Amino acid sequence: MSKVFPKWFNALPLKIIIFLAVFVVTIVSGVTYYATPKYTRVGYQPAQPVPYDHSFHVGELGLDCRYCHSKVDQSGHANVPASSTCMNCHSILKTDSELLEPVRASYESGEPVPWVRIHQVPDYVYFNHEVHVNRGVSCVECHGQVNEMVEVSHEKSFSMGFCLDCHRHPEEHVRPVDEVFNLDWEHPGGIKGQIADGEKFVDEWNINPPQSCSGCHR
Amino acid sequence: MAEQNSGPRYWRSLDDLAQTPEFIDQVNREFGPEASEMNEVDRRHFMKIMAASFALGGIGFSGCRRPEAHILPHSKAPEHLVPGEALYYASSFSVRGESVPVLVETHTGRPTKLEGNKTYTPYNGGTTGKAQASILELYDPDRSTRHQKGDVTLSDAAVEDFIVSLRSKLAEEGGSGAAVLTEKSSSPTRLRLKKAFKAAYPEAVWAEYEPVAVDNAAKAAAAVVGPNLLPRYDFTHAKRILSVAGDFLGEDQGHLMFTKQFADTRRVRSTKDEMNRLYIVESNFSSTGAMADHRKRLAPGQMMSFLAALALELELGVEGNELKPILTPLADSLDTATREWISKCAVDLAHHKGESAVYLGSDLSPEAQALGLLINEKLGNLSKTLNFVEVDADASASIDELAKAIESGEINTLVISGGNPVYNAPAGLGFGDLLEKVETVVRLGYYFDETSSKSSYHISQAHFLESWGDGRTYKGDVVAQQPMILPLFNGLSEIELLARFVGAKNTDGHSQVVETFGGASRIFDKFLHDGYKADSSYTAVRSLVSGVKVANFIVGYEAPAATSKDSLEVLFVNDSSVDDGRYCNNGWLQECPDPMTKLTWDNAILVSPMLAEELQIVASDSLVQVARKNPNKVKDGRVFAPVATISVGGKSITGAIQIMPGLDNFTVVLPLGYGRQVIGNVGKGSGFDAYQIRVNDTSYASGATIELTGEEYQLASTQEHWSMEGRAIIREANKDYYKKSPDWVAGMGMESHSPAVYGKDKKMPTQQKVTETPRGGSMYEHPDLDGTHQWGMNIDLNVCTGCNACVIACQSENNIPIVGRDQVRRGREMHWIRMDRYFSSGLANNEIPKDPQVNLQPIACMHCETAPCETVCPVNATVHDEEGLNTMAYNRCIGTRYCANNCPYKVRRFNFFDYQQRNKDKLYLGPLAPKGMPELTQMAQNPDVSVRMRGVMEKCTYCVQRINQAKIEQKAKAKDSNDVKVPDGTIQTACSQVCATDAIVFGDISDPESEVAKLRENELNYGVLGYLNVRPRTTYLAKLRNPNPEMPDYSKLPLSKMEYNLQSYGDPAGHTGHHGSHGDHDSHDSHSDHGHDSHSEAKNDHGGSH
Repeated sequence: MSKVFPKWFNALPLKIIIFLAVFVVTIVSGVTYYATPKYTRVGYQPAQPVPYDHSFHVGELGLDCRYCHSKVDQSGHANVPASSTCMNCHSILKTDSELLEPVRASYESGEPVPWVRIHQVPDYVYFNHEVHVNRGVSCVECHGQVNEMVEVSHEKSFSMGFCLDCHRHPEEHVRPVDEVFNLDWEHPGGIKGQIADGEKFVDEWNINPPQSCSGCHR
Repeated sequence: MAEQNSGPRYWRSLDDLAQTPEFIDQVNREFGPEASEMNEVDRRHFMKIMAASFALGGIGFSGCRRPEAHILPHSKAPEHLVPGEALYYASSFSVRGESVPVLVETHTGRPTKLEGNKTYTPYNGGTTGKAQASILELYDPDRSTRHQKGDVTLSDAAVEDFIVSLRSKLAEEGGSGAAVLTEKSSSPTRLRLKKAFKAAYPEAVWAEYEPVAVDNAAKAAAAVVGPNLLPRYDFTHAKRILSVAGDFLGEDQGHLMFTKQFADTRRVRSTKDEMNRLYIVESNFSSTGAMADHRKRLAPGQMMSFLAALALELELGVEGNELKPILTPLADSLDTATREWISKCAVDLAHHKGESAVYLGSDLSPEAQALGLLINEKLGNLSKTLNFVEVDADASASIDELAKAIESGEINTLVISGGNPVYNAPAGLGFGDLLEKVETVVRLGYYFDETSSKSSYHISQAHFLESWGDGRTYKGDVVAQQPMILPLFNGLSEIELLARFVGAKNTDGHSQVVETFGGASRIFDKFLHDGYKADSSYTAVRSLVSGVKVANFIVGYEAPAATSKDSLEVLFVNDSSVDDGRYCNNGWLQECPDPMTKLTWDNAILVSPMLAEELQIVASDSLVQVARKNPNKVKDGRVFAPVATISVGGKSITGAIQIMPGLDNFTVVLPLGYGRQVIGNVGKGSGFDAYQIRVNDTSYASGATIELTGEEYQLASTQEHWSMEGRAIIREANKDYYKKSPDWVAGMGMESHSPAVYGKDKKMPTQQKVTETPRGGSMYEHPDLDGTHQWGMNIDLNVCTGCNACVIACQSENNIPIVGRDQVRRGREMHWIRMDRYFSSGLANNEIPKDPQVNLQPIACMHCETAPCETVCPVNATVHDEEGLNTMAYNRCIGTRYCANNCPYKVRRFNFFDYQQRNKDKLYLGPLAPKGMPELTQMAQNPDVSVRMRGVMEKCTYCVQRINQAKIEQKAKAKDSNDVKVPDGTIQTACSQVCATDAIVFGDISDPESEVAKLRENELNYGVLGYLNVRPRTTYLAKLRNPNPEMPDYSKLPLSKMEYNLQSYGDPAGHTGHHGSHGDHDSHDSHSDHGHDSHSEAKNDHGGSH
C-alpha cells in the first residue's frame, strides 16, 4: 500500500487545509479591503486647498453648520460655501493670511476654489439632505463629529447597509428637530432614553423611512 | 389569433388583420428577430473579449480606489439659486406664428425640460411633442456653432462689422435692391421691427414664407368679410363639429386649445353627461379623423364640392340666388352616397344652430375657406363658435413675388432669416438656383442647411431657449420668451439681427422686448413671471360674411377632374414628427412613431388598400393576399415595403409605399419634411423629399401617377411591435348603448367571467384592497403595501387624441435614449409609454377595409399589485415598494429579460446596447467603436434620473423621481408633525403634465377623495387584462362614440364588435339565439366571451344563462 500513497501524502490534508485557509483569507480580506466602503472610504482625509478648521470655526467660535452649508435644509445637496461666504468675515479678519490666498483669488477672479470631495455616494444613489435634517436626523449621524475635526475625514462607511441600519431602526437616531445642528447633543437619558424618545418621535411624526429600492434609486 | 379572440376585434396592420403566418410567427416571439441570437459575435470571440476585460480589470484594480473629485462652488453665490433644486422660468415655444406658453425647468442654469404653463388656462398646461423635443434641439451637436462666410469662420466682431456695412449700404439706397425673407411670426417685437425696417428702407422687399399654409383663412376672410381679420374657432360650446380637411387635434394651429375644448365637451363621467359629436371629411387619416364619430373620405379636390353641397342643404336666403348657380354644379360632381351623408350631417348641424362649428383645415384653398365661413354664418355660429378677430395690418410679399423680383435682377442683397427656402420653397420656383443671381445672400440659421450652403454668409442663430422674444397664442395673448442660458455658440436671434438692421440703440433682445412692451416696470416683471400678459387676446369684431362676396370670390372655381388610378391626387401633409423638415435632425421626434402610420425615421408614400389593389400591387381576391404579396410585406418580423415613383407635373420622386387603411381611394399622401440633403447625422438619409414634386405652395396636386420600381425598402414601423394579440384591451361602445346599460364595461371581456381573484375579500373597499393585497387563496404571498400613499393612474380613452406628446415628455423626463432606425426595425425602441393604434373595420376577415375606426391607447407599465415580472426575476432587481410602485433597481439587473417575457403588457424595454454612449451606426463594433456621449447631449439629461447602461431592463417608473421630490418636500415641511401625506394633485407624472386633455390622472388611490381614486370607482373604469389577476394600478376609462343614428354610415355597435360578431357568429348583430335571457344586458357584450370556459365567478345577472 505504501507504494500507492507515498509518505508525503500524510501531510496533504494539512497542506490543503492551510492552502484553503490562506486562499480564503486572502480573497476575503482582498475583497473587504478593496471593495467595501468600510475600507475604501472610511478614513479618507485629502488635503484641501484651504485647510479650513472645523474644530475652530464650529467648535470654538460656535458657527452654525448652516452658516456655510446654507441650503442643507432646503435642498438635496448640502452646498459647499461660495467664496463670498468666506469673505464675509475674511475681508476683515486675517486679510493677508497666506492660507486664505485661494479664497481671495477665487473671490477676485470668479473661479471656484477646487475643494476636494470627501463624502460621496454613487451616481445612482439619490441621497437628500433636506428631508433628513428637517426630520430629526443630525449631521453627526453620517458625518461624525465634524465640529471636532481639524481636517475633515470620512468617518462612516456610507455603504448601503449603513443607510439601511438607520432606515430600519430610525428610533435609534432621530432627535428633537431643534438639536439637529447641535453635533454635541446626546440624549440625556442615554441609549435607553434615546430609544424611548425615538420611538415616540417615529410614531408622532409618522416617520416611515423608505426601505425599498425606489427610496434612493431612480 | 382570430379564433381565439376574447373580445372585440382590433388590428394594427393588414398583416395582423389577415393573420398571416409571418405575423403570427412574429407575435409569438417576445423580442422580435435576432434578440436571442448572437449573430455578430461567436462564442470564441466572446470568450477572448471577456478574458481581455478581466485582465484589464485586474490592472485597474488599484486605480479605482478613492479617485479624487472636486466640489466647485460659486465664487459669489447668486441669488435664488439653491444648488440641487430646479428653477422654473416662464417662456414660450413658437412655430408658424403660434406660441405655446411653457415653463422651463433649469438645473444650475441648464434647461432640461419643458412643461406646459398651467396658469395659461386656454392651453390647460398642455404642450406638444415638438415643444418637448426642443430641449434636444438646443443641445444638438450638429447645430451651427459658428458664423461663416463660405467655409471661413467669422468672428463675432467680423459679423458685427459686416452688418454695419450692410446697413449703411441699405441706408444709402433706401433699401432698393434689398429683400428680407422670413418665416411667419406672431411676435409683437418682430412686428414692430418689421414696420421699422419697412419705414427705414421703403424700397426693400419684405417677404414671408411658410411651406405649410397658414394664411388661407386670412385671405378668405379678407375677401368675404373684411380686411385684417382672422377667423378664430372656439369649441367651448360646440356640440356638433364638422371638420373639413382639418386636423385641429393634430397639426393645425391652435390644436392645444382645441384639444382641451374638445375634451371638455366630450368627457363623460356618468350617463347624464353630454358628449359632443365630431364629423370629419378628409383625404388622409389624421389624428382628428381617428377621434371622429363619422368620417368621410374624399379627395382633396372634392372638398370645395363637399362644402358646396353642404351649403345647398342650408337656408341660404336671398343670397342663395347668386350662390346656387355656382354651387350646384360643384355639388353635382359628388356621388349620391356622399350627398346623402352631407344632407344628414347638415340636418344635425342645423339642429344645433349656434352650437355647431364647421372647422376649415388650414390647408384648404381660400375659396373653400370663404364658402366655409358662409356656412358657419348660416348655422348661426358667428360670435359663438367662430369669431373674427382683428389683427394688425402686416402685409408682406409672397415667396413668388420675391422670386419674380430676383428673376428680374432687382435684388442684390437678400437676408434670409430662419426657414429653409432652398429646401422647401415651391419646386416650380427653383429657389436654390435663383439665389445664385443674388450678389449677397445673408442667412440667419440654426443649422447650416441647404439654404446656408447656397448663401454667401451664414450667421449662427440662437435657440429660442437662448434668446429674448415674445409671441402670441392662438387666441392672441402675448406671451414672453425668456432666455434660459446664454447663447452656447454666440448666436443671434432674429429680433437682434433686425434691431441691428434698423439701427436700434440697444440691439440686445431684452431691450427690444422691453421696448415693445412699453418699458421695464413691475408689469413687465409680472409678464415675465406669469409668462403671458393677461387680457391681451385679439379683439373679436362683429362682422358678417357677405354671400354676394362669397359668390364673386368663388365664381369660376373649377373642381379638378375625378380621380382614378391613372389620375391620382397627391396630398402634402405636415409631418407629425419632423414638421415641415425643421426637426429632421431631432432624434426624439424622428423615433417617435407617427400617431397613425406608426412609421419612424422615414416617411412613406401612403396609399389606400383600394389603390394598392387597383394598381395590382396585390392580388384582388383576399386580404391575405393584400397583406402578404407585397404591401408592407413581412419577413422575419420586418416590414419590407415596395418602392414606387410618383410623378406629377413632370416631376417625380421615389419612396417606399405604406398601405394606410382609411385613406381616400385615389389620393396619395406624402408627408413633407424628409429627404434633407444638408443636415446633421440624425436626419441623414431619412425618407424622400416630397417638396420636389410640389410645384406651388398649395396642399395638393392632381393628375399624378404612381409606378412601382420593383425595389424594396425596409421601413422602421412599430405598428406590429408589442402586439397584444387580440385581447379585449380596449372597451368601447356607443353613447346610446352606455345610457341603456351603464354597467356595460364591467360586463365585457374575460373579467366578467374571471375577475381578479379576491376570494372572500371581494367586497372589500378599494382602499383596503390596494393595501392589504387579498390573495384569494393563492399560494404565492405578496407583502402588504403599507406605505403612506398608494400610487395609481387612470387614463381616459375617451379624450386621448393620441398626440404623442406624452411619449416625448416621458423621453425627456426619464433620459430615454433613441436607438436608431436599424434598431427600431429590430423592435428595440425604448419608449416607456407607447401609443397603440388599432383599426377595426367591421368586415369579415378577407375583405379589404375601407372605413376603419381607430382606437388609441397609451400603454406604459401598469404597476401591477401582483406583478408577474417580479416573480421571475432571479436577482430581485424588480420588486415592489411599500407604496405600490413596481420598481427597477438597475444595479441589480443582470439582463436575463425574464421579466419582459412574463409581462402581459409588453412594457419592459431592454438596453441591448449602450445606446446613450454609442454612435447609433456603430453599435455592432462593440469595444472598437468610440464611446461617450457628446458633452452637449449630456446637458440634455435630467440629473434626477439614472442614465441606464447596456444590459439592463427599464420601464415606466411612474416618474418615481417626482414622487420622491414631492414626498421629501412634504416631509421637510412637516418637520416634527405627522403631516407627511402629499396633497392630491401635487405630483404630476411627465405624461400627465404634458396632456392638454387631462386624459392621464395620477395620484394616491388609497385616499378615497383623490381624483384618481374617484375615477377608479367610475362605472367606465376597467383594468386591462384584469383577468390575469395582476391587479394593475393603471386603469382606463372606456371609450365612447357618439354616432348619429340618422347617418348612412351609422353603426349600432363599434366596428370592432361587428367584426368580432361576424367572425364568431357570421352575423354582425351578434349571437341572437340567447337574446332575452340576460336581463338588462345586451347580447353582444355578454357574449363577447363565449368560447371560454373560465367562468370562475360568473356575474349574478349572468348566472342563469350559462
